[in-house]
Amino acid sequence: MKNIETVCKKIFKLAKGAQCEVIAEIRTGALTRFADNVISQNVASSSADFSVRLLDDGRSAKINFNQADDDSLKLAVASGLEILKKQKKDPALLPLAKPRALQAGKNLYFRETAELTPLYRAEKAAELARACKKSGQTAYGTFSNGASELVVANNLGVYARHRETYAAHGVTVRDRDGFGWAEYPAHDVNEIPFARLNDTARAKAAASRSPKEIKPGKYTVIMEPQAAADLLSYLAVYGFGGQIYNEGRSFICGKLGKKLLSPLLSIEDNALDGAAAGMPFDYEGQPRRKAALIEKGVVIAPVHDRKTAKDAKTASTGHALPQPSDIGPIPLNLSIKPGQGRLEDLIKGTERGILVTQFHYTNLLKPQVVEMTGMTRNGTFMVENGRITFPVKNLRFTQNMVEAFGRVEAVSGEAVPVAAWGAMSCPAFRIAGFNFSSSTKF
Amino acid sequence: MFKLASKAIEVAQKHKAEFGDIRVIEERRQNLGVKNGEISALTDQSTLGYGIRVLCGGAWGFASGSVMTETAVADTALKAIAIAKASRLLMAGRVRLAHEPAYRDFWQTPFLKDPFAVPIETKLGLLFRLDALLRRNKKIRVAESELRFIRERQWHMTTDGSRIEQVLLSSGGNFSATAVEKGDVQTRSYPCTHGGQTLAGGWEVIEAMNMEDHAERVAAEAVALHSAAACPAGVKDLIISGNQLALQIHESVGHASELDRVLGYEESYAGSSFATTEKLNKFRYGSPIVNLVADATLPGGLATAGYDDDAVKAQRWHIVKDGVLSGYMTNREFCVKIGKERSWGSCRADGYSNIPITRICNLSLMPGNTPLERLIGEVRDGIMMENNMSWSIDQKRLNFQFGCEIGWLIKNGKKTKMVKNPTYQGITPEFWGSCDAIADHRDWRLWGVANCGKGQPGQTAMMCHGSSPARFRKVKVGMHG
Repeated sequence: MKNIETVCKKIFKLAKGAQCEVIAEIRTGALTRFADNVISQNVASSSADFSVRLLDDGRSAKINFNQADDDSLKLAVASGLEILKKQKKDPALLPLAKPRALQAGKNLYFRETAELTPLYRAEKAAELARACKKSGQTAYGTFSNGASELVVANNLGVYARHRETYAAHGVTVRDRDGFGWAEYPAHDVNEIPFARLNDTARAKAAASRSPKEIKPGKYTVIMEPQAAADLLSYLAVYGFGGQIYNEGRSFICGKLGKKLLSPLLSIEDNALDGAAAGMPFDYEGQPRRKAALIEKGVVIAPVHDRKTAKDAKTASTGHALPQPSDIGPIPLNLSIKPGQGRLEDLIKGTERGILVTQFHYTNLLKPQVVEMTGMTRNGTFMVENGRITFPVKNLRFTQNMVEAFGRVEAVSGEAVPVAAWGAMSCPAFRIAGFNFSSSTKF
Repeated sequence: MFKLASKAIEVAQKHKAEFGDIRVIEERRQNLGVKNGEISALTDQSTLGYGIRVLCGGAWGFASGSVMTETAVADTALKAIAIAKASRLLMAGRVRLAHEPAYRDFWQTPFLKDPFAVPIETKLGLLFRLDALLRRNKKIRVAESELRFIRERQWHMTTDGSRIEQVLLSSGGNFSATAVEKGDVQTRSYPCTHGGQTLAGGWEVIEAMNMEDHAERVAAEAVALHSAAACPAGVKDLIISGNQLALQIHESVGHASELDRVLGYEESYAGSSFATTEKLNKFRYGSPIVNLVADATLPGGLATAGYDDDAVKAQRWHIVKDGVLSGYMTNREFCVKIGKERSWGSCRADGYSNIPITRICNLSLMPGNTPLERLIGEVRDGIMMENNMSWSIDQKRLNFQFGCEIGWLIKNGKKTKMVKNPTYQGITPEFWGSCDAIADHRDWRLWGVANCGKGQPGQTAMMCHGSSPARFRKVKVGMHG
């Protein structure tokens, strides 16, 4: 791939007098998928994508393309300028952002992770599959890795560049009618505890054999970090997006500074450092700020981009998505503050409850109160008198999450990285009175 | 383009691949959106690239790239071969593909008006007019309208000798109105939710929707929902219409009948299926009036093409016949595992950078013979629901729960009061087993699903589901937390 900066300069030149913004993303990725103890799919991809936004006299146009030779650039930008001419003026259109000082951010690029071979990935799949075969279990899962480089530049002087790598090991194990699961995403492959993940999934699968059906109803629920993260990501995204807030569609509207949730719940969005770090700037090249969303149950503020901040008469927190955006800014680097003790301590302190490994197919019923539904999956257990007593058949929940996270009884002291909509770090939670509304047959 | 593609075939053959193919894909997408009087989307996207698949030593490898030179294509093919070699580390037996004749053909979506030739100002003009009509109602807080067009040109070459060129075209549009009152948010959409209605075809698809004729009604209904009663909880007869029935078909039959899921190959992500292979031609999936037909030849269907991405010619087949499980969505690899010597042809990839996987084809509920008025007239205590808002189903496709935009109570054969936030829940075969009437062909129409996610890495596919409103007896409704 040609130097991105050179391509940007060529595009700016072709844009003539128009304001011009380029978002360029170069990606390589590979994924080895296994099922039934064999590799079932093994893929690699590489791509270079350019998104160019042109603004002139209150008008805007956007073109995306992936061929960056001179002829293709000329053609693409010329078509953008042609679209631009035919626009109506938009009085609300903001000019492009001016350059602002950016923090370096946390190093998230690890060359070894970017360059893992197909054989390495296959071997990671084989380690679990061999162990499963020996014990009559069946392995499913993926191991993936890749790298990306993203540049946001405009002809007013913004030039922001970020690169990162990723690797993720996600495994599901079947043991007759029992299922177990574990997953760990990381920027550095050396952080992934492969053996622990494999052992966890295998042990859970064995422990969840012959599940019993229990009556749906309200139970204390102990959610492992991945299960809690699934629900909390909805709470954050549908509650704390600046545009959703400005439109009066969030549960935090009119509630800033008020205690709406449990004092055990604190959430911040932090792309700059910590366990959920990411790109230290947004898609307009503006600096990301740490944003407290909830502190000890008190609603602090939504996140903003330049546009929603202007509408709300406040400052941008640097959370712009590529513009124009119909959903507006959302928090994508969520750190949920850990509490005390381990998951086992949460179980020990439970008189009667349900332990959930993972939720499946979660979705919103009423976005404005974050009322959700979804199923349990891959290891659901009854907890009685402080210990796991038997596996249970999967259950569907239907629950208002604002109410549920107002009833937090305990938060574990260990937050783990979770693959969510963005980066996320989350501990385990215990919540009282969680509504399981129906059950299924396995 | 076939000259460039032939480089990959040459490399695959040189390395003695049992099978290899390359799909060169040129795609153009245009998305336009207006929200509350401002442009919320205006994107014109063009991509060009290729995906190369090889079956080497009995195992698969896939690699994609977008550098359009013979050297880069050859390098990408070699990368796919190296990946296939690594796959051999963990295999149970050699992958075998069902036979399919070699084709040399050109196929394209029929259309009347090229949507990319329609001026941008015409498209934005329509969206701004819709926006103004919606916001004429002062209680509407958010008005959104969208148009989208996709043209995908494919050059597909296989080591079997197939050389297929296809041009697939789709057009879609929708609008919605959201009213906010005392913390309650209610939305109505037209013609449906989830990115609206998309069908194969050109600008005529947009014209046929007559969107402006419906804007004021939809805005008024969004406002009226605030004063509507909540959906009652209990067990009631249920009539499903609009794109809700399409999504019911999609989630509880479409995905459940994907043979890769059935065989466990999706277990690590989307899950598996209760519709296991020993049930084929035996299992009662629904009542005897339930006939669900997969059809890659269906006019207007988003999964309609001359050939799938396995280079298998388009077909039409039953998934459920007279209520009995009768077929699956297949590719050339998995159909062999159920003893079928030819794939039904439902294998597709998202763009150039993804490997083809088993996908839902166009899947439709065949119309019944009951006029809609009678469908409603025969209900003593029921509810009618329209347009999906929320969807969730378990990993074996049994326990589902859906939420809809709007509902109406049915009392003694009459559609009466509007209700808000309607939901229903069921278990797939029991639910389809409770279907006792399907409206006739006069109310049958095609609904597009333009955003079906599946696979790892994630892929999006499009398909259609035809249906007319159907009645289900004694369904659990009104679940809320």
